[in-house]
Amino acid sequence: MNPLLILNVVRFEIRRSLSPGRIAIWSILVLFPIALVAALRLLSSRAAENAEAWGMALYFLVPEVVCLLGLLLWATPAVSTEVEGQTWIYLAMRRSGRNLVLIGKYLTAVLWSCSAACVATTVCTIIMGSAGGLQLWFVICVLSLLSCLAHAALYILIGTVFFRRTMVTAVFYTLLIEYGLAFVPAMANRLTINYRLRGLLAEWMDWTTARTVTENIGGQESAWVHIVVLLATSIALVTASILRLTWTELPTQQEG
Amino acid sequence: MIQLEKVSKLYGTVIGANDLTVELGAGAYGIVGPNGSGKTTLINLLTGQLRPTLGKVSVFAQDPWRNRKLLRRIGLCPATDVLYPNVSAYEWVTYQVRLHGLSQADSKQWATESLAQVQMTENMHRPMGEYSLGMRQRTKIAQALAHRPELLILDEPYNGLDPVGRHQMTQLLIQLSEQGTSLLFASHVLHEIEEITSSFLLIHGGRLLASGTASEVEQIIADTPQEVVLIGPDVPKLIPHLADQAWVDSIQLLAERTELRIGLRDPSNLYHSVADWISNDQLQIDQFQTANSNLTAVFESLLRHHRGESK
Repeated sequence: MNPLLILNVVRFEIRRSLSPGRIAIWSILVLFPIALVAALRLLSSRAAENAEAWGMALYFLVPEVVCLLGLLLWATPAVSTEVEGQTWIYLAMRRSGRNLVLIGKYLTAVLWSCSAACVATTVCTIIMGSAGGLQLWFVICVLSLLSCLAHAALYILIGTVFFRRTMVTAVFYTLLIEYGLAFVPAMANRLTINYRLRGLLAEWMDWTTARTVTENIGGQESAWVHIVVLLATSIALVTASILRLTWTELPTQQEG
Repeated sequence: MIQLEKVSKLYGTVIGANDLTVELGAGAYGIVGPNGSGKTTLINLLTGQLRPTLGKVSVFAQDPWRNRKLLRRIGLCPATDVLYPNVSAYEWVTYQVRLHGLSQADSKQWATESLAQVQMTENMHRPMGEYSLGMRQRTKIAQALAHRPELLILDEPYNGLDPVGRHQMTQLLIQLSEQGTSLLFASHVLHEIEEITSSFLLIHGGRLLASGTASEVEQIIADTPQEVVLIGPDVPKLIPHLADQAWVDSIQLLAERTELRIGLRDPSNLYHSVADWISNDQLQIDQFQTANSNLTAVFESLLRHHRGESK
């Protein structure tokens, strides 16, 4: 598969999605954590002493909320919008159209969401002042990237399996698994992406208090284990989506 | 070029293609059938978008479902509209060609040429959101042509085109056909196809009812019982006249006694007599529908022929 062709798909997808509506949603995603952190900063007088609490709040707001919201909007409907808009047939008629378009749309969704997350993290870290710092900024940005890569792969797969009622299925999955099961202190929560991200946060920030409190919901494995699991999960999910899309008869148009 | 061997396609319990067997060499062919007859199912089977439930599909001696590289040799203009509001035709067609693996430079060159072929050069840099239906239709045809396919499949390609656009498109398709591009042209309007080719496949209810030239199909229709419908408040008064005629197979009075369906072997007898009956008895008849004016009726006639009901 020619990587230049994938870049071509990404460029086309960004070009076609560069609309006022999309930019407005991107701006809301950026402003939402900034507004919350700014409000908390104004209300709290002991920012520096609560560095861990501020860090946890920023982690929850950005990699777990902003990234997931962005990906729900941009990764989940990647295939279903083409199917519903009856434009899928044009892409499916190209030699490698199905695979290239899927990967291109996946990377575009990661790009949109991760850029919103990184901009929001940058501004929030500045607002937090001494409670933030370069290390927190860097860790949250890396976690945002990993969150986007893994969650986008997950939502893309949901989108290819359930190309009707895609959004409902993805929201239901997120609430039940990523926000529900991930907080259950049991073996099952290791199957969630958020468990790995929390483990990495605790590992990289070296927060002993937070680590003790969140021992069972943040993972005790080394950072490399978490990273390898997240990247392997992302690759496996995208591969599963490609296979699913290659051998699925998607509706192309109204029967005539 | 195309081979279908006992191909059937089921959508759950609904049948989209029913035991299709056909072999087509290179050339131009029209697929004619009313809406919902299975034309698009056939096209989707030929382009590898659908896998046959039964039977075997082969295009250029390869299975289109398993061999997607084959798509490089096929161009499809689907019936569905395309709308990427803030992308120009030039960007979209270039992108479509690029997805076949051509270089960026070649993609741009080929897209420009195909857009010129469909008279879109002047508007190709405008966003597609500003296009009329006809301009979008031309753009769709350009994307089907742009990668220079050996087989061009067009599903209702005249949708949205004005008479000038239709004429230009007809000339383009004739030119492509003469240059050696094979054409498969689906439409529910017979005369649109007749301008481009005299070879037809007639499809109805997922079945291939007839194939051949226009005169061959006309002969089949002539040999098949046909139905004529008369509508008006006085149609029951025609029944005594019709009941005496040997050429009438059946008479049905429907729709609160205002619709009369007459089954006959040779409608010319009716055409000779009915005007006199109406005139002499001062009858009010509002509509006269013949099989020839109603494509569905033609297909109903062919379906009867397919079932072996013709003489």
